[in-house]
Amino acid sequence: MAIRTDPEENGRGALLDLAALDGGRILEIGSGDGRFTWTFADRAEHVTAIDPDAEQIALARQNTPAHLRDRVDLQHVGFEDFAAKTSPAAFDFVILSWALC
Amino acid sequence: MVHALEEIHRLLKPSGRLIDIHPVSEAMRVEIDDDGTLSSVGELSVGQWCMDFQQADEALADVIERGLFIVEAEDIFDAPTYYGSVEEMRTALMGSVDRFSRDRRSAEEAVPPVERIVAGSEELMRMARGTAELVAHERTHIRRLRPGPSDGKG
Repeated sequence: MAIRTDPEENGRGALLDLAALDGGRILEIGSGDGRFTWTFADRAEHVTAIDPDAEQIALARQNTPAHLRDRVDLQHVGFEDFAAKTSPAAFDFVILSWALC
Repeated sequence: MVHALEEIHRLLKPSGRLIDIHPVSEAMRVEIDDDGTLSSVGELSVGQWCMDFQQADEALADVIERGLFIVEAEDIFDAPTYYGSVEEMRTALMGSVDRFSRDRRSAEEAVPPVERIVAGSEELMRMARGTAELVAHERTHIRRLRPGPSDGKG
């Protein structure tokens, strides 16, 4: 039996209750294997999902749903390096996705 | 962490929002769901080894006090993870210890509590039906913050 994380999508519900993501440009920091990314990416114009763990990003690339491939840009990079090469005021939302742990 | 929040402030449009999602700094509750009958296995505290929730909360409190971000709304939700076997749970928890421990020593300290939860789970799962699942409940804090006018250098 496969591991199921938040199958009731409580995280997605809480996020969408708090944030109208529709059409926004989103940066997700600490996207891991992408399982949370897929729950909200369909609402955004574009999602940049970054994680410093190469293995997790590889898993996310492997598991990206077909309908999100053009919308989600997965990057293997730490936040400091990403920020250093990114222009100001680039995003409508920044999601710190369990990144503080 | 404070510097990262300053950088996030720079990357956000003035009308943008920061959404912070992280587990609350309390023990994770583990139970067995045996066809709707719930039995408690115990609690697993990750606070001692997981890169500090408390430190993260303090960093956020610091930038909020400086006016870099303003909290607009917040909530707490349960993010449960279901495991079909004790071995699945053990592998996942040990993976988290590897990934999130702040250093080698804290990783070593994290192992005995995980093994205690595993042992307790094995005992209860033996008595449960074949369809029983283990559930680890992680209470999670979500906050929406808007960028304040401060440049955050205060």
